[in-house]
Amino acid sequence: MHAAERALLEETVRDAVTRAVDAGASVDAVLGELGWLEMLDAEPRDAVEIVFTALGLANATAGVLDDVLAVACGVEPRPDLAVLLPRFGAWAPAAEAIDGEKRIDGLATARGATATDLLVVADDGAAVVPLAACAVSAVEGVDPIGGWHRVRGVVTGAAPVPVGADRWEAAVAAGRRALGHQIAGNGRAVLDLARTHALDRVQFGRPIASFQAVRHRLAETLVAIEGLEATLGAAWDDGTPITSALAKAAAGRTARTVATHCQQVLAGIGFTTDHPYHLYLKRAMVLEGLFGNADAIVLDVGRHLIHTRSAPTLIEL
Amino acid sequence: MEVAEFRAELHAWLDAHHHEVAPDFDPPGTLDQRIAQMQRVKGILYEAGWMRWGWPERVGGLGGSPMLRSELGATMAARNLADPGVYSLVEVLAPTLIDYADPDLAADWVPRLLSGEEMWCQGFSEPGTGSDLATLSCRAVPDGGDPDTADTWIINGQKVWTSLAQYSQRCVLLTRTGTPESRHRGITAFFLDLDTPGITVRPIEMINGEREFTEVFLDDVAVPADRILGGVHGGWSVAMSILPYERSSCFWQRIAYLYPRVQRLVDAVDEHDDRAAEAVGNAFLALHTVRARSRATQHRLAGGATLGADTSIDKVLVASAEQTLYDSIRKCTTGVMELDDTPLGDVARIEYLYSRAATIYGGTAEVQRNIIARRLLELGEEG
Repeated sequence: MHAAERALLEETVRDAVTRAVDAGASVDAVLGELGWLEMLDAEPRDAVEIVFTALGLANATAGVLDDVLAVACGVEPRPDLAVLLPRFGAWAPAAEAIDGEKRIDGLATARGATATDLLVVADDGAAVVPLAACAVSAVEGVDPIGGWHRVRGVVTGAAPVPVGADRWEAAVAAGRRALGHQIAGNGRAVLDLARTHALDRVQFGRPIASFQAVRHRLAETLVAIEGLEATLGAAWDDGTPITSALAKAAAGRTARTVATHCQQVLAGIGFTTDHPYHLYLKRAMVLEGLFGNADAIVLDVGRHLIHTRSAPTLIEL
Repeated sequence: MEVAEFRAELHAWLDAHHHEVAPDFDPPGTLDQRIAQMQRVKGILYEAGWMRWGWPERVGGLGGSPMLRSELGATMAARNLADPGVYSLVEVLAPTLIDYADPDLAADWVPRLLSGEEMWCQGFSEPGTGSDLATLSCRAVPDGGDPDTADTWIINGQKVWTSLAQYSQRCVLLTRTGTPESRHRGITAFFLDLDTPGITVRPIEMINGEREFTEVFLDDVAVPADRILGGVHGGWSVAMSILPYERSSCFWQRIAYLYPRVQRLVDAVDEHDDRAAEAVGNAFLALHTVRARSRATQHRLAGGATLGADTSIDKVLVASAEQTLYDSIRKCTTGVMELDDTPLGDVARIEYLYSRAATIYGGTAEVQRNIIARRLLELGEEG
């Protein structure tokens, strides 16, 4: 995609997502009208980068993560197909195959409320099952407007879809990249809120943005976000699971850095629900844990490096 | 030549010539040994052509993207053929001469630096001038009083943190030629021969026991006017022009040097020690992040972008990655750097203590954050 074409698409998607959020309309429907699934098929990298960054910026609630995961599993994505997400903090499949049954206990996105079918990946392969065969309950948690669901159940006799372990690994990597972009967009939005506040808020006769302690917190936040964006670029270029894992770890760390510094700069107003900051914080708290939080991934990568006695450079010029 | 092709051919060549290029001493060696090794390897690589790729043909180069230089320096660092801290002087000084010296003189001088025949140093900082470079006071005056007609300039003053001046034949020196208040507008750069009468070089012992830095005293040092780089009062842009090189290829080399340190660590720790796994993972994440950033920066530079304040982000990331790595090494190998009297302990101590400077040299971490706040976040002036 040419730079100009991409910039135009970025603007179109951001505007559409923001308008949908403001109007309380379905973000999935709006993205569908913009040709999301066609984009995902033709230009997967641009599609995921642009759409998930836009979701993060607007703090939008959507189910398009399911489409990304379905494609990675080799299953045709459709708006009425949800994908079973791993348990919070984990990245192993949330279904166990025991004696021909699939025992399911995992999460779902906002699509858990509207889909008719559920893609379930377990260690013996995958199956598309009727969502009605599972117990689906909305989860409010810290982010009640996030559209999160818990999905449980025991499914038998489901039509199997051949999905190997490498497919699930690819799905985890794809999910991590998408969530990484969403966290980057979320972080950019929060940094913008904090920056605006710092320039507007006057104490001791001057904007607090003129105090070095405040400036350095915001600078540190930008460093984290740009570092995250670089790891996402590397993950796309490289395509192996470990660079996507590192990008998600960078995303988790960035979410904490953004929260620590920007909440401190937003101070009193950021501690209230009068200001939008809290919505971004709460969404990021959930995004951070999906497909593994930073500490869990860092530990996993460290174990892997020590086990293989290898510290490869992973990406080249 | 493409970077990937260059990399593959370079590695094959280095494998075949391993015995010629490898150091003839065990690590850490002395600074004298490491400098001699670097100059020797530069000579071999220049002869074989590798050292000439990525440099313009008018200074004896073979052309091609500057990324080829990044690749060569990174490979030398990763194979422990040259220390990136001292090797990086090539990367910051040769472009200065290429951009600002008389073309004939540049064509004569630059090959001497690339081939290891000479070493050069950079005389920027002064006792009263650290982060605030624009206050430098080392004075240059035109002999006879007229800057337009003088054949010779007379320099008096002192420089500090001048890396490797005791090994160098020449120095890119910043001097004050305007009023003390003229700040960046009244600075002139000279290309000075260090054997000129009136120059005294005194090495400074660093916290790790090595003597990489020096003080340079200049007492009525006479320099020909044709050794001015970038014109009278044009020194600030000479100094600033170094930034894109320092922040692209030099960082890439530094990063390449750090990966074998992670390798050393993963070879040393117990497989079942999760505390070590966490420390290794953290160091690896920080290093991967800055490698990804630096790679993107170099592709932007190769694509024609002008690098500026945005590279302060690269600088913060590289410094924190380096310190995170050495903190992890210290955590996982308790007692080695503190009490081990074997060469293993020497290497660990020298490198760990050196890493503490990563947030100080080349613009402190605080100055980088000031630049990010003012230039990238546009937060206005500081109060």
